[in-house]
Amino acid sequence: MSATIKDTYARRVRTFARGSESVLITTSVIGFVVLASTTHGNLLTRGTLTAIFQFLAVPVIVGLAQMVVLGVGQMNLSVGVLTGFCSMVAAWLMIRLGVPAWLAVVGAVGVGAMAGLINGVIVVLTRINGFIVTLATMTIIDGLRYGINGTSTFQGYSPSLVRFGKGSSLGVPNVFLVAMAVAALVAVFFRRTVAGRRLLASGGNPLAARLSGVSNDRSIVIAHMISGLLAGVAGVLEVALSGSVNATIGDDLLLPSFAAPIIGGVALAGGVISVLGTCLAAFIMRMVDVARAQYSIDPSWVDVIIGVVVLGAVLLTQLRHRGGGPR
Amino acid sequence: MRTAEHCASIVDHLDEDGQGAAKPVHGRAIPFWANPRFGLVVVIAVLIVVFSALRSAFLNVDLSLVPMQADLSVFVVVGLAQMAVLSLGHMNLAVPRMAAISAFAMGWSYQHLSVPLWLGLVIGLAVGALVGALAGWIITATGVNSFVVTLALDFALVGVVSLLYSQVGDGVAFSVHPAGMQTLRNGTFADYCAGSVCGPPVPVVVPIALGAAVLVGLLFFSVRAGREMLMTGSNANAAQLSGIATTRRIVQAHALSGMLAALAGFILAVNNGSFSADIGKSFLLPSFLGPVLGGTALAGGAVSVVGTILGATLTEVIQAGLNLLQFSIQQLNIYIGGVLLVALSADRARQLLAERRAQRS
Amino acid sequence: MTFVAENVVKRFPGVLALDGATLRLEDGTVHALLGENGAGKSTLIKVVTGVYRPDGGRLLISDGPSALREVQFSGPHDSQRAGIGVVHQERNLIPAFSVAENIALQALPQRRGFVSRAAMFELAGRCLDHLDVGLDLHSPVEGLSVAHKQLVEIAKALAVDSSVLLLDEPTASLTTDEAERLFTVVRRLRDHGRAVVLVSHKLEEVFAIADTVTVLRDGRSVTEAQPLRDFTRAQIVDLMVGREYTEVETTSRRVDRSALPVIELEDVSTRAGHRDVSLHVHRGEIVGLYGLVGAGRTELARCILGLDRITAGSVRVNGAPARIRGVTAALHRFRIGYVTENRKEEGLFLDQPISRNVAVTVWRRLARAGLVRSKGERALVEQYREQLGMRIRGPRQLAGELSGGNQQKVSLAKWLAADCDILVIDEPTVGIDVRTKAAFHDLIVKLADTGIAILLITSDLPEMVALADRIAVMKDYVIVGELDNNHRYDTTSQAVIRMIHDGTAA
Repeated sequence: MSATIKDTYARRVRTFARGSESVLITTSVIGFVVLASTTHGNLLTRGTLTAIFQFLAVPVIVGLAQMVVLGVGQMNLSVGVLTGFCSMVAAWLMIRLGVPAWLAVVGAVGVGAMAGLINGVIVVLTRINGFIVTLATMTIIDGLRYGINGTSTFQGYSPSLVRFGKGSSLGVPNVFLVAMAVAALVAVFFRRTVAGRRLLASGGNPLAARLSGVSNDRSIVIAHMISGLLAGVAGVLEVALSGSVNATIGDDLLLPSFAAPIIGGVALAGGVISVLGTCLAAFIMRMVDVARAQYSIDPSWVDVIIGVVVLGAVLLTQLRHRGGGPR
Repeated sequence: MRTAEHCASIVDHLDEDGQGAAKPVHGRAIPFWANPRFGLVVVIAVLIVVFSALRSAFLNVDLSLVPMQADLSVFVVVGLAQMAVLSLGHMNLAVPRMAAISAFAMGWSYQHLSVPLWLGLVIGLAVGALVGALAGWIITATGVNSFVVTLALDFALVGVVSLLYSQVGDGVAFSVHPAGMQTLRNGTFADYCAGSVCGPPVPVVVPIALGAAVLVGLLFFSVRAGREMLMTGSNANAAQLSGIATTRRIVQAHALSGMLAALAGFILAVNNGSFSADIGKSFLLPSFLGPVLGGTALAGGAVSVVGTILGATLTEVIQAGLNLLQFSIQQLNIYIGGVLLVALSADRARQLLAERRAQRS
Repeated sequence: MTFVAENVVKRFPGVLALDGATLRLEDGTVHALLGENGAGKSTLIKVVTGVYRPDGGRLLISDGPSALREVQFSGPHDSQRAGIGVVHQERNLIPAFSVAENIALQALPQRRGFVSRAAMFELAGRCLDHLDVGLDLHSPVEGLSVAHKQLVEIAKALAVDSSVLLLDEPTASLTTDEAERLFTVVRRLRDHGRAVVLVSHKLEEVFAIADTVTVLRDGRSVTEAQPLRDFTRAQIVDLMVGREYTEVETTSRRVDRSALPVIELEDVSTRAGHRDVSLHVHRGEIVGLYGLVGAGRTELARCILGLDRITAGSVRVNGAPARIRGVTAALHRFRIGYVTENRKEEGLFLDQPISRNVAVTVWRRLARAGLVRSKGERALVEQYREQLGMRIRGPRQLAGELSGGNQQKVSLAKWLAADCDILVIDEPTVGIDVRTKAAFHDLIVKLADTGIAILLITSDLPEMVALADRIAVMKDYVIVGELDNNHRYDTTSQAVIRMIHDGTAA
């Protein structure tokens, strides 16, 4: 029996070593060390470290939101603007309706989940390509963000929420802890729950899944709903972290929402996800951002590099799993 | 050996509740009033009537109709750019930045090389075609799907364009304008009179767009290259096994897309009066609206130039009308997105009805 | 339990696939379901597994002592629940999932929404033990060999406690050793009281393992659930093929072999695995390439067309060495056409009109000043509509709406239009009714009479014997024999089958 356990671990280590996750961890560690040393330790001050991890929380969650639908072979273009919309909803609930913070949080996350559910239902009912459906809903929600408070900013809501958002526990920023907790839940969902395994089955081989009694339609709806829910969580974190929100939140979240899972090794065809990879990729992109600031590099270079890296990552994932999705 | 056939027939059957990836196979010719393009014409006509009833200024030639045509010209060409790769069943998410980088090339040539108007345009088209060909080449060489390749390319090009303007250009726009641009921008055919008969109040850029539409339509309908692109989109395997050089056609379709994106960028720059860094920024959604509303299939194998023009017209009419009614841009977005969903659902419903009728017969 | 599919009828547009087929299964037997291509075996299996709904007849089940009761399957799930498991020809596994998870997917042990991993591994382990197979339960399925994947599929069927197990061409991609191990498993399943249905083309396998046999021909059961030991192999073949067919004597055609062969392969080895393949076809000659599923014939055709690499040997067209780099070159430079075996996936553009399907190979020729005229296309369609007897509504009808036979005609017309000198025809009459099949045979002979060199790939032995002037037999990617065809089914078919059994490299 012990021999089998040792075999299992040995195999797991081998698979891990070969996988993309190990590449990402190595890159993260090396990158961090290089950055820290070349900036003469500027990086390691409490302020900088806190900022790094605080502003990592939302990209991680948004990346996970995209990852969930990628797992079932879909995509969600509305992830970015939905985050902004949920931020505005939360702020509106607190300021205009005087709702206590915790209830506003629940409300905003609920709105996100509802929007995701609608996305999924439309995709399943109309059988229209998920790209086009979420392109349309993205456009709608884009506009809806401004319907809540026009172009003005919401601020001065719930000091306790903002204190939580800007604060840290045991030296780790609270929002980052929330993001990690969410990541853990998503990981458990895909690894341990029946719904999660079925979702990946639908993404990995819809025909085989169907023949095994899995409902692909249900998988798609669940995936979109979770994606929306996570966008709602991201929106709430924005509210907590920044202390003031306006309708432009989410404008620059769409491309990172794809870049993180793709660089993290998630297959575009569906069926393969990586929570660890997505988080690490988000971390690496954050590192690149920090480096850009530290060395005053033109931000445009960052975009070029990320674009090339995304392409390379897709190629590698394709070679590994022999699946590149539709033409 | 019969494996694939066996598998395919299982899929055919399961498609009832699988993910409808099968292409719709329409039955007998549907009556003309059920034809989607006719439906578009009706909707456009109705909207024009409604908007002009709500705001008579909608029909004002100089303040409304002329600018609408100028904007429409941009939308039509942008839609054609996306349609070019939809023929293959691909997507080009880099249309915005292909337009931007071509616009940069054009602006730079006008400013630093002092080339005449037409030559600058040619240079821009060439740049667009090259970038498009690059996308097509990456797609065929790596086998990665077009969505990702063009998404990554667009992302990278955002940076490149920004860098180009800041390092090589002079800030965010070029100030030198070639001779003739002003005429293109402000002129309509009403300015040209032969005796007492003057031309229609149609902006001079409109024929450029129409000319492009005619050429693209000709390409896909009659020229072998275009037809082979459609066949590649219909069934890439069968296309290759029928002797079509599919790799070449894919690269060419993407190059065409880039070239049309460049043309759209040119028309927009002319309309705006300058070549600047944010040319192309808002091209992505319209690039899909035109073809999709007009009935071009996302799965490939069938395109409709007339449909794309009608789809672009519908988009423009809605936008202009809502603008006049003083809707904000954001409210506009809500309605445009809604229109897209409704149009797609209606089209899908129509397909289902046609299939059910065909099955029964 | 007992399962009966009684007098099943199934219609498709233009084809009557099943016309009263009956299948009777008892516990503890291995039952062979035999029949030629197009006899209806696949369709019957799909009816039994709930993929298709029958247009006539009924399905009956009895659990031991109770009487037979009628059941209706509205989908694959229903038939699985009734205890019918199936292992299809192609694999249906989730690539990234582990062996255990694929096995248990249909019946995932769970507790309050969470997968009970221990129970899952135990279930999968039990299924594999049942098969006496040791596989690493944790390894992802995508890395397994084809044989192992097949075992996982069988374990899947066991996981849902199937009393009936349908195996569709199970040894198609297996080596002899692997097949032998599979049969040990089948015997064990039978000894444990399950009913196993074996669908196979390989008669030697069937005779080695099956207890009872049902033979389908033209959608009907010509023999139902008879003990296999009551038949000789020849009698079974007769039943499958039908006496009438062997009576038809085709006269040998006169082929001029004095000139250089139009196409010649000499000691060709390919990246696909062929070794030292030598073939030649003269002008106006029909050379048949026979073999069982997986023999490598289609793969050879693809190599000839330049779709896969030739690593050794030479290909000559009209005497001159030819480097064929792709289908475009094959067609336009060397005038080689390939009528594909899967017309739906590879031969036709289902959502395009017939005119485009037919003219796609000759747009170069039809173009005037770079523009293709529809008139030319329509004329082409008219020409072949008459010549081939196509039943279509018009050149604008979409290819996907046609019946199988008419689709195949369109697929053929495309190559006729291209005016090829060499035609490779791959499984031309699969899934086509008998009458249209005969018409196709006439057509192929007529084509050869006009001077086209034809390489005919088919696993339909009667078709081969009727049409080919010479027959080359391929097995495991090598040619194991060649013979002149005297068009007499009894002698020639025996010779061919013997070559397949005895032969290694010729």
